[in-house]
Amino acid sequence: MLVDGRFDYLERLRYYVGVATAPVQYMANLPSLASSTTLDLFNSRSELVELREELLMQQYRLQQLDHLSAENARLNALLRSAAKVDDEVMRTQLIGESPDPFVKRILIDKGARDGVTVGLPVLDALGLMGQVVEVEPFNSWVLLITDPQHATPVELERNGVRGIAAGTRDTAQQLILNNIPNGEDVQVGDMLVTSGIGGRFPPGYPVGMVTSVRQDPSRPFADVQATPTAEISRSRNLLLVFVRERSEPVAAAPPPRENADG
Amino acid sequence: MVEVGAKEELSGAWVILVSVVLGALLSIMPLPLDYEAWRPKWMILVLIYWAIALPHRMGLFTIWALGVFTDVLEGTLLGLNAFMFALAAYVALTLYQRLRMFTLVQQSFLVLMLVGVQQLLAFWILFMAGRNTATDFSFLYPALSSALLWPVVYVLLRSWRRGYLVT
Repeated sequence: MLVDGRFDYLERLRYYVGVATAPVQYMANLPSLASSTTLDLFNSRSELVELREELLMQQYRLQQLDHLSAENARLNALLRSAAKVDDEVMRTQLIGESPDPFVKRILIDKGARDGVTVGLPVLDALGLMGQVVEVEPFNSWVLLITDPQHATPVELERNGVRGIAAGTRDTAQQLILNNIPNGEDVQVGDMLVTSGIGGRFPPGYPVGMVTSVRQDPSRPFADVQATPTAEISRSRNLLLVFVRERSEPVAAAPPPRENADG
Repeated sequence: MVEVGAKEELSGAWVILVSVVLGALLSIMPLPLDYEAWRPKWMILVLIYWAIALPHRMGLFTIWALGVFTDVLEGTLLGLNAFMFALAAYVALTLYQRLRMFTLVQQSFLVLMLVGVQQLLAFWILFMAGRNTATDFSFLYPALSSALLWPVVYVLLRSWRRGYLVT
């Protein structure tokens, strides 16, 4: 146990036992799969109409977005900064979650066979869910951003104030913003997005919304809480993001200034 | 015939396998969050039963290996369940002759103690490993629910064992 907690030697054992556990995990998911499939049958007609309308709206927004991202790429090229590329994504489904209510981990139906590696970010339609921490041949475990072992580098969308959003030590799906100084401009309703610092998560993905700010002058830091944007305990259809190396274009282009990175 | 002996040795291995798979399924079956803390330790119940009923077939190593299987299944610290299962199995394998004489209520008390101690140790280990664990005594709920369900598991598995002549 100590070895598993501290080192990686046992990953191979876990990997091979994962072949045996996959069918059981698949079977455990069958009832919910069957119920959602049956519900889909009944819902399909009305949902189809809704989805068509939504698709139309999204395509309309996409047209603008294409224009904006092209413009953004041009401006970035002018500034010679890192070219922002579209990330590759892979669809995946939630097939299980940790039986321990205090461990906020979920099981997804893609594994090493599909090219999943440790550290890949996982999103749902609304925001960041977590990252892959254990890879088995057919499944992988995802540590949710609301687990206290997880900390997400974030910034406020409104003014770029940086912070670290950590999970909480209870069963609630909440986030705490650590080390925000008192007096910093943080307001209830501010959106948190990934800052991209640390390189694990691509910048700009929505993480959460600030729900409460308490600034107590007797304490060094403000107490800022947030709820995740992603529907952490409800989403079943998820996306795995394959993050491309972003540092390469920077190295290829001549550096704009000496010691630009400090 | 030679094959008879070989067959007898494996008689009804599938019954054991099915019960273990059922236990594994029940231990990862999605539950509403409110009840999740009460989820009985199904694998331990099933394995304690087989350890008491067929101690010559369910050895420590088998049970430890099934513990490793459960670890991967639940995605927890590798070795946690293996260690706990081996502890419970050791007690069951040492005392199986006495345990068979116990009434169901007495056995339930032993299950309460075994699962309780196991949960407490798991709580300490998980805490030391830095994993998120309960902040109150809710980590002991599975001991209660397991003890309450033990008579059901025992009677059910015994009827299977007798029905399919697993020896």
